[in-house]
Amino acid sequence: MVRQRLNSSPRKLAFASALAASFLLTGCDGEDSGSAPIVIDGPSITTGEGAFATSQSTARFLTQATFGPKPGQVSSLTGTSASSWFAQQLAMEPTLVEPDFDAYLALAEEEGEESELMFAAPSYVFWKQAINAPDQLRLRMAFALSQILVVSDAGGEILSDVPESMVGYQDILRNHAFGNYRDLLEAITYNPAMGEWLTYMGNQKADETGRVPDENYARELLQLFTVGIVELQPNGEPRLQNGQSVELYNNEDVTGLARVFTGLDIAGLDRQQYPSLVDAVGEVDDLGENFLRPMTFNDELHSEREKRFLNCFIPAGTRTLDSITQALDCIMAHPNVGPFVSRQLIQRFTTSDPSPDYVERVATAFDTGSFLLPDGRRGGDGSKGDLPPTLAAILFDPAAQIDQALDNAQFGKIREPVLRFTHWARAFDVEASKPEYALELTDTSGPGAMSQPPPRARSVFNFYRPGYTAPGTQTGALGMTVPELQIVNATSTTGYINFMSFWVFGGLDMLDPGEIEAELTELNIPFNGAEVASAWRPDYAAETALANNAPVLLDRLDRILTYDTMSSETRASIESAVNQIPLDDEQDEEGRELRVQLAIFLIMTSPDYLVQR
Amino acid sequence: MPSNLSISRRNAIRLLGASAIAGTAMTSGPGVFTSHAADTSDYRALVCVFLFGGMDSHDVVIPFQQAEYDGWRAIRRSFVARQGASRDRGSLLPLTRASRPPEDPPQHALAPELASIKALYDAGDAAVIANVGPLVEPVTRQAFEAGVAQVPPRLFSHNDQQNIWQAGAPEGAQFGWGGLFADAVLASGGNSSRPQFTTISTEEVGPFLTGRTASPFRIGINGAPQINILEEFADQTDPAFVNAVRDQLASRSFSGGNAIERDIAAKFAAGLDSNDFYGQALAQGMPSFSGFGAGPLSAQLRAVANTIAVRGQLSASRQIFFVGLGGFDTHSAQASDLPSLLRELDRGVAAFHGAMASLGLAQQVTLFTASDFGRTLAVNGDGTDHGWGGHHFVVGGAVRGGDIYGEVPPATIGHDQEVGGGRLIPSLAVDQYAAQFGRWFGLAPSEIEFALPNLNRFSPPDWNFI
Repeated sequence: MVRQRLNSSPRKLAFASALAASFLLTGCDGEDSGSAPIVIDGPSITTGEGAFATSQSTARFLTQATFGPKPGQVSSLTGTSASSWFAQQLAMEPTLVEPDFDAYLALAEEEGEESELMFAAPSYVFWKQAINAPDQLRLRMAFALSQILVVSDAGGEILSDVPESMVGYQDILRNHAFGNYRDLLEAITYNPAMGEWLTYMGNQKADETGRVPDENYARELLQLFTVGIVELQPNGEPRLQNGQSVELYNNEDVTGLARVFTGLDIAGLDRQQYPSLVDAVGEVDDLGENFLRPMTFNDELHSEREKRFLNCFIPAGTRTLDSITQALDCIMAHPNVGPFVSRQLIQRFTTSDPSPDYVERVATAFDTGSFLLPDGRRGGDGSKGDLPPTLAAILFDPAAQIDQALDNAQFGKIREPVLRFTHWARAFDVEASKPEYALELTDTSGPGAMSQPPPRARSVFNFYRPGYTAPGTQTGALGMTVPELQIVNATSTTGYINFMSFWVFGGLDMLDPGEIEAELTELNIPFNGAEVASAWRPDYAAETALANNAPVLLDRLDRILTYDTMSSETRASIESAVNQIPLDDEQDEEGRELRVQLAIFLIMTSPDYLVQR
Repeated sequence: MPSNLSISRRNAIRLLGASAIAGTAMTSGPGVFTSHAADTSDYRALVCVFLFGGMDSHDVVIPFQQAEYDGWRAIRRSFVARQGASRDRGSLLPLTRASRPPEDPPQHALAPELASIKALYDAGDAAVIANVGPLVEPVTRQAFEAGVAQVPPRLFSHNDQQNIWQAGAPEGAQFGWGGLFADAVLASGGNSSRPQFTTISTEEVGPFLTGRTASPFRIGINGAPQINILEEFADQTDPAFVNAVRDQLASRSFSGGNAIERDIAAKFAAGLDSNDFYGQALAQGMPSFSGFGAGPLSAQLRAVANTIAVRGQLSASRQIFFVGLGGFDTHSAQASDLPSLLRELDRGVAAFHGAMASLGLAQQVTLFTASDFGRTLAVNGDGTDHGWGGHHFVVGGAVRGGDIYGEVPPATIGHDQEVGGGRLIPSLAVDQYAAQFGRWFGLAPSEIEFALPNLNRFSPPDWNFI
C-alpha cells in the first residue's frame, strides 16, 4: 500500500498546511481556529433590554444560556444589556479540554501504574469546566452540538481506551461552537474519533472481491448531522406531497455518498504492523497524539467512481480531498440544513417543541448568517451556517421571551439531568475543582444515576431523539416532540431522586473518609486528604440563615432554582414538609441545614423545577 | 406535627445501588371493543428479545451443503479469515427439519455460538423463522427496482426500522402491537386489579408496549428500587413526615397547566406507586434461578423470570415483556463482535427457558427475537451494512420446534429475493410473525387485525410455528 505523500501537489500542500495550522492552534495554545469573526457593529446600548430587565428574566435567560444561574451573577447582570453579555461571551478566550486533560495525564503518569485518572479524565474535565469556566455560552453550545454530532466512548472500546480521542473531538466542538457549521462538518469528518465511531477510518473503495465502502458515515451524516430524512419547509415542518412526507434519499444515495469517505485513515500509524487499530492500543506510544490530529488520506484507496447523492454529482476521477470538499459543500447548500439544525439547537436551549414560526426565524438566521440583536447591533458574518447569529436568534426570539413563554402551556423543556446537577453546583457555590474525588460522578450513565452521562451517549442517536413523541402522554396526544421524556421512566426517576438526594443532603459527609481514600488509592487517583474533605461540598450559609422562616426560605430558593415560577401548590406542599422538621432552638444548626436540604431537594424533584419554562 | 426526628445520628445515605423499577400511569379509557373476546383464563407471556443495531442473520443461519457453503464462504472471505475455525463447515451446527424426511440432508446450520439454542431446537422447543421483516405489501425485486413497490418508509434507518418493527410506523409512532395486544387483554377484563403490570420492559423500549390503555412498566435488573432518602427518614421520623415527602416526590398536589410539567408529574406519581407495589411483590419470595450468567441479556431475562415468578402477587394472567441486547450494528469488527453477542443471546435464552421450565411454565411463555433489520451478505471489509429481512428465533414449549419456517433465500447475490448486496426482501412480514403470537396469546381474529391493520395485505402462510 503506497501512502500518498501529503505535499506532492500544490493543492494538497496548501490543504495540508491548513490542517497543520489548525492542528497547531488546536493543540498548543488553545486559540480559536475555527470561528469566523463575529461582526457586531453599531453602538452598544447598556440598558436592560428584555432578557436582563428583571432578576427573574435574568435568572431565566442564564438558565437557558449557561450551566445554571449563580445568584451573584443574576444580581450583577440584572438591568444590564443581554446583547452585550452575548457579545462578551463570544469574544472570550475558549476553554478547551486538552489543557486540563494534559494536567490529569501528567498526574496519572506520576502514579506510575494505570490510573483511573487517565481514562475518566474527559468526564472530569467536562464537569469541572461546565461548572467553573467563564465562557459558559460557548460550552453550552458545544454541549448542544455534542448531542447532534454525537461521538461517544460509551462503547468501552478504543475511544475509551484512548481518551485523547474524545479530547480531540470535544475540542473541535468547542473551537467551532461560534464558527460556521460547514467548517465544523469538515473538521469532524477528518477527526479520527469520528472515523472510529462511525467506522470509516480505513474505509476503502470497492474491489473485485465484492467489498464495498462502509456506508455508516454517509448515512448518519445525512440523517443526523445535516438534512434528516424528509424534505422540510423553512419552518421545520415536513413538506407534504399528496399528504405524505417526501423522503430525500434512498439507499442508492447513501451508497453513492459512501464512496466519498474512502481513503481516510488515522495519521502516523504503521498499518502494515497494525492493520487493526485495537492492536495498537497500549503498544504505540503516541497513538493518543494521533487522535488529536486530523486523519490523513490515501488517494489509492479512494473511490474513483462517480458519486451521486441528493442533487449532488461528483465526477469520476475526483480524489479524496476534492470529493470530501465537494460533498460537504453540496450537502451544506441543501435547503433542509437550516431548519433541520436550527430546530434541534432550539430544543437544546429553550423549548422542546418550538412553533414553526420560531424555527423559521432561527433557520433564517442560520441561512443568512445574520441576526439583529435586541440592542440594535447586527451580528454574524453573512455566511450560511454562521452559528453565533443562529444562537442569538434562539435565545432572543420573541417566542422565547419570558412573558410569551410563561403564558404558553406548550413552551418549555425538561431540564437535562446534567444541567440540573451543574445548576445545583453553581447555585450553591459547590467546590468543584476535583471531580476525580467524586466517584459517584464519574459514570452517571445508568438509569440508577442520571441516564445522561456526558459525553457518553449510548449511540449516535444521542440520549434521546429530537423527534421523540411520548406515547400515552398529554404532550404525545398534542403531537409535541419532547426528547427528554424518552429517558423518563420509573427506573430513571427513582435514580435521579436518589442521585440528587445524595448530593443535596451532603452524602459525601456521611461516607467514611477512610473508605473514600481506600477507593481512590485502589484506582490510583492521588489525593490530598484535606481537599477530599472539602470537595463537592455546597455552601448553604445564606439559605440556612433563613431556615427558621419557611416562606422566606422558599422565596429565596424559588428565585435561585425556578426563577419565581414555582406553583402555589408545590410551594405549599414543600413548606409544609419543611415545617415538620423541628428546630430545637434558634441555634439548631443541624435542623436548619436539614430544612434547607429538604427544601432544595423537593424543589429540584418537582415538576416546577424539572421543566424550565 | 413535628416528629421525633433524630438529626444528630443520621446514618450514611447509601449510594445509589439498586436500579429502580418503572411504572407508568394507566390512562383510563373505554375499551375499544364492545364485545371482548380475548381469552385470559390461564397464564401466558410473550418475551420480545430485541437485538438492537440489526443482526446479521447471514452469519447465524448459514448454508450447509458444500457447494452453497463454499459460495457463502467466498463472499464472506474477509471475515471468515478473521473468525478462524468457528465458521469452518465442520464447526457449524446443522439443522434438520421436523417437516422433512429425516434422511434429507440439512440445508442450513447455525453458528457454533448458538449451541444451547440448537439443543432447544433439537428438543422441539425452538424454531427458526426465516427472512422476517417489515412489509407494507408483498414485494418483488422487479417492482422494488422499478420504484413501484410500496415499501415501509425509511428502510435501512435504525430508529425508524426499530419503530416499524414495533409499531408499523417510523419514529413518532404512538402504539405498538404489543401494547395493542395488551389493550385487548385489558378490555376483556384481564389483569383488572393491577393493569400496570401487563407490559413490562427492562430496556428502553419504543412504542412496542404502549397501547391506548397499556403502558410499559420499566423494571431494573436488581430488584425493586428504593428511594434512599425515604428509607432514611422512615428509620428516624414519623410516618406523617415520610408520607409528606413521598407525596411531594410523587407530585400529588401538582396542578400546573404546562403540558410537559403535567406529563412529568404523572410519570413520577405512577412510577413511585408501581415501584412500591412491585417491590412488595418481589419481597414475598423470589425463587433463585441457577443458570443465568452475568451478561447484559442474561441479567434482563433473569429479572423477567423473577417477575413471572411473582405473577400471582401482580395479579397478572397475561404479560408481554421486552428486553434488549445492543451491539449488532456490525459495520466493522464483525468477526470479533458478533460471536460474543451470539454467545450472550444463546446463554440468556437457554437460561430463561430453563427457568420457565422450573416454574412449570415452559408451555406458557414464548420468547422471540426481533431486530432493526438483517444485513448485507456482501461485506465492506470487516463488517456488513444495513439490510432488511432477517432470520429469527422463537423459543418455548408451545413452539412447534425443530424446524425452519419459511424459505431461507440463497446466500448469493443476484437472486430474486435480494435488492443489492444480499439485502433480503422479507418473505414473512412482521405483521404475519406477530399475528401468530397474538393468536397464541389468546386474541380473537378481530383483535389481531385491530393491532395489525396491515395483516390482510398478506395471505397467511400454510404453517403455524406455534
